[in-house]
Amino acid sequence: MDKEKNYIQHIYRLMLGLLAIAFLYVIWPYISSVLLMLIFAFLFTTILLSSVDALERKIRNRGLSVLAVTVGLIAAIAIFIGSFATNLADQAGDFSQRLETESFMDDFNGFIDNTKAKLPNFVKGGGDDVDAASKLNEVVGNLMSTLLTFAGALGSFVFNMIMVIIFTIILLLNYHQFKKSLVNFIPNKYFEVGLRLIFNIEQQVSNYLRGQLLAATSVAIMSIIGLYILNFFGANLTLVIFIGIIAGLANLIPLVGPFIGMLIAFSVALMNNLGIDAAQSHMLFNSIPSPFYLFDIALMFIIVQQIDNNFITPLLVGESVGLHPIMVMIALLIGGTLLGPIGMLFAVPAAGIIKVIGQEVSFVTKNAHLL
Amino acid sequence: MKSPLWSNVFKNWNSQESEKVTALKQVPVFDGLSNKELEEIEKLTHERTYQSGEHVFKNMAPSEGMFIIISGAVEIYLDNAGTKNVLAELTDQDFFGEIALLDEEPRSAGAIATKPSTLLGFFRPDLLSLMDRNPALSSKILTNLGAVLAERLRKTNELLSPKSDN
Repeated sequence: MDKEKNYIQHIYRLMLGLLAIAFLYVIWPYISSVLLMLIFAFLFTTILLSSVDALERKIRNRGLSVLAVTVGLIAAIAIFIGSFATNLADQAGDFSQRLETESFMDDFNGFIDNTKAKLPNFVKGGGDDVDAASKLNEVVGNLMSTLLTFAGALGSFVFNMIMVIIFTIILLLNYHQFKKSLVNFIPNKYFEVGLRLIFNIEQQVSNYLRGQLLAATSVAIMSIIGLYILNFFGANLTLVIFIGIIAGLANLIPLVGPFIGMLIAFSVALMNNLGIDAAQSHMLFNSIPSPFYLFDIALMFIIVQQIDNNFITPLLVGESVGLHPIMVMIALLIGGTLLGPIGMLFAVPAAGIIKVIGQEVSFVTKNAHLL
Repeated sequence: MKSPLWSNVFKNWNSQESEKVTALKQVPVFDGLSNKELEEIEKLTHERTYQSGEHVFKNMAPSEGMFIIISGAVEIYLDNAGTKNVLAELTDQDFFGEIALLDEEPRSAGAIATKPSTLLGFFRPDLLSLMDRNPALSSKILTNLGAVLAERLRKTNELLSPKSDN
């Protein structure tokens, strides 16, 4: 009789579970963006919490601490973006002016012809002899229309960011109370295990984020130093500090991130050095052709990545997540497939959290008689 | 009629000391703390209710912190091969499990509510977060905790040492 009751209970639970999944599937499109905002707000809260707590310790006022930290951060980001946008606009303006001049077109066509002439026959592939400069013009035109679409997306991005900032401020203000309310839902039997689980998850996420931020800072500093060294050898790169900072921030996204800083440096090198013979015929180590210092830049970023991957990240992030490299790769692939670059950003800490939950669940299962 | 705005602004004026703060004042671990500090501790504590016969924790269970009895009664016991050996019967304002604030070892005895009870839990993760935010307050708590344990050790020594009345 008892066995039968148990069986019915299992079926009842399974049906309830399936209903919950179906309900989640139906409402997912309506709640996914809000959930994503909340996840971002939670991550920002985790990053900023220690600063707010430290400031609160000094000025003895939580509200003022949250205000000072968030306003300071927003001001720093606004100054960075504003200054970067102005400099980039100047650079683009200068470049488009140079694009107008005929000598530049000739330079560019000459460079393409020279490059083609140097290529072995099988690479040329018998393609049509097209006007390279007009093709470049076409590319720039396409880029402009892409930029307009981007401006539209920027509007919704700004709205989302404002919401994330508001959520972050609320979470920072009431973090300890929110956590307490959440903990209150845990049944008595699992209370201490639940507390330990929440504490371990917090530690996991904050260690990972702090480690990653320190690694990103070191990548930014090393990239800036590397770009200045390249400039010393005549690479003629501008926006060095911005490229370095973007390279550092992009480094937060594993695997893909490191290439973002490199691509920006490539485009700046190309814009600045078009029409300069010395740059076009530059040789890396006096033996490998490296037009516009492209291979120099790539080599510099590879060196920075190697230092970061082999020395800095293991030291700073190292054991914080404690996942096997294969698990990190699998997590990144799943995150990337599900949510793109954002998914890749969250993949490793999410996998770390799942690991902590798994450990606790296994502990509870093994020690159920103690609870 | 009272304006909701002004009543909200002055909501903390003439406020009465809460039942939890009163209970915290009785615990030697929080000795010498000001009312403001006790209110900060109160924010970190968790109020839990237990039915009569419900376990607060079992012997060898994972431990995270201490409990203070606001109301009700709790029995501390050891289970020796099926025989229940009651070590202490605790009531209002008593506390137990404070060693768990210092280490992560499993519980050394079980605790069971013998009446419907309301307990206040103060746990290690919260003490650790308090250390980050308010080291002065947390060092007072740790000093008191040290004193409580030293007192207990002294009593244990007295119990174990041969009587020197000759």
